[in-house]
Amino acid sequence: MSQGPLHPSPHPAPPLAVEHLAKAYRTGGRLLPVVGDLTFALARGEIVAIVGPSGCGKTTLLNAVCGLTPADSGRILWNGAPLDRRGRPPSGIGYMLQKDLLLPWRTALDNVKLGTELRGMPRGQADERARALLDQLGLHGFAGAYPATLSGGMRQRVALARTLINDPDVLLFDEPFAALDFQTKLLIEADTVRLVRDGAKSALLITHDIEEAVSIADRVLVLSGRPTAVKASYTIDLDCAPDDMIGARESAGFGDYVRQIWADLDIPRSTLGCAGRGISRAAARS
Amino acid sequence: MSDAVTGLAPIAGKSQNALPRDGARLRSGALVLLVQIVLLAALLTVWEWQTRLSPQSAFLFGSPSAIGRFLWQGLADGTLLRDAGVTALETGLGFLIGNLVGTLAGLSLWYSTFVSRVVQPFIVAIGSIPIIALAPIIIIWFGTGLASKVAMSTLSVVVVALVTSYKGALGVDPDQINLLRTLGARKPQIFAKLVVPSSLADIFAGLKLTVGFALIGAIVGEFMSSSVGLGHAIFQAGSLYAIPKVFAALVGTIALALVLTFLVGRAERMLMPWRDHL
Ligand SMILES: Nc1ncnc2c1ncn2[C@@H]1O[C@H](COP(=O)(O)OP(=O)(O)OP(=O)(O)O)[C@@H](O)[C@H]1O
Ligand SMILES: [Mg+2]
Repeated sequence: MSQGPLHPSPHPAPPLAVEHLAKAYRTGGRLLPVVGDLTFALARGEIVAIVGPSGCGKTTLLNAVCGLTPADSGRILWNGAPLDRRGRPPSGIGYMLQKDLLLPWRTALDNVKLGTELRGMPRGQADERARALLDQLGLHGFAGAYPATLSGGMRQRVALARTLINDPDVLLFDEPFAALDFQTKLLIEADTVRLVRDGAKSALLITHDIEEAVSIADRVLVLSGRPTAVKASYTIDLDCAPDDMIGARESAGFGDYVRQIWADLDIPRSTLGCAGRGISRAAARS
Repeated sequence: MSDAVTGLAPIAGKSQNALPRDGARLRSGALVLLVQIVLLAALLTVWEWQTRLSPQSAFLFGSPSAIGRFLWQGLADGTLLRDAGVTALETGLGFLIGNLVGTLAGLSLWYSTFVSRVVQPFIVAIGSIPIIALAPIIIIWFGTGLASKVAMSTLSVVVVALVTSYKGALGVDPDQINLLRTLGARKPQIFAKLVVPSSLADIFAGLKLTVGFALIGAIVGEFMSSSVGLGHAIFQAGSLYAIPKVFAALVGTIALALVLTFLVGRAERMLMPWRDHL
């Protein structure tokens, strides 16, 4: 709420804008440039997927965007306002990783309620919301279960509920479904898309799975190797319901997007194949 | 019953599945206990038999029957119980104070990398002092009564508790910390909701370890100067060559250590109920 611009503006600022972001790590006295010169924006209600070669700096990008790792240069604007100087994550974001990061000493319900406790929401209200979310995600009856007694898919659903409990406007996903089997993955993907769309939220989804990117996102950004920058951007237009993961895969055009993005990723097919340009440059330097 | 049609079914199923497994665990537990008893009985028999064969080894090693007589006598006239009670008090106080101070200090070092780096060499230095070397000073500072034994016991415990709890606090997954930060947590909340509970496993490992250290501290303190306590009984019996009496007091010491370890285990299961599910 404090982040909305005070002055009336003809174009409301996008929930997230990243301009000329750069980030390097210093390791063993060497500077490793990871994010080169990266610019993109996430529009309200939009789902943007980011794909890129392994190790190109996607996780680094995500952590810089929400203030967890300081960027070296460039601007990060949340609803038009920069991050605060102390590097605190902006309010109103949800953050979810491949690891479910559930606290083993808390039941599923208490894990979901974590964010409400940190915000000081009254217990009764928090309870009600957490239970409603668990129900929506098909976990009715598992509120009192400890994470160790849940399956991988169920744990990731609890993590999703925990991410959504504070009703964030923007969701940041870092390969959240990568560890799941195909079937579970499709189901959770559909649930996620539904919850994001119904809540009019925006989402940034980092993934290695090109099919996942194309079936979920409105737009797919392809990143280059280190130091990474946006190499290509595809607006996805498929002829099916947004949360229909199978329908997306069956629609005309799906295969073309996947092939195009695959070609952009420039993944070497054999030892003779060409390495990603950014990667070979970085390798030559070291 | 209606739960069977809802999502509760798997949970109900789980507790039913747990029954045969618990039964198997119970049976194998009984087997372990049986083998332990047989081993102990065999040891005592050989020991008794050896000491009956030669009076010299009876003098040097004492015989289980003589040890048993002294144990019985000590229990009957109350001296053993009184000695054990005093040592238990010293050990318990030293254990509690040492672990409380050490754990609080160790966990709070998580708060500041700067402070932890400053104090690191001091901790290593203090930790490397053999406690017995401090005994003369402690007796001068705390006198020859209860306080000096509690101090010895505390000092034996405190550095270990500090190091184990600090290690636990450092072991927190950085991704976990990041997650809490994105949910709006400040440092004190991260400490209370994440660092403390996830250090509990290490803290309890430290507690189990320091039961023995606290006991050593108290008994060494009693060796230096005392008029009562298991250490006193051992020391006095030893100087009179009353070997069975030494062993009787040792049995009392072992029993004390077992009771304390059992209590720590109970506290662990009470404070970390989720552990049963791991
Ligand atoms: N804290 C750090 N210190 C030094 N180097 C780091 C650090 N974190 C990441 N790196 C390096 O930065 C590069 C990018 O890492 P990052 O995790 O952002 O890649 P990624 O695109 O998310 O990879 P993946 O697709 O495998 O998840 C890697 O080469 C990694 O070794
Ligand atoms: Mg990554």
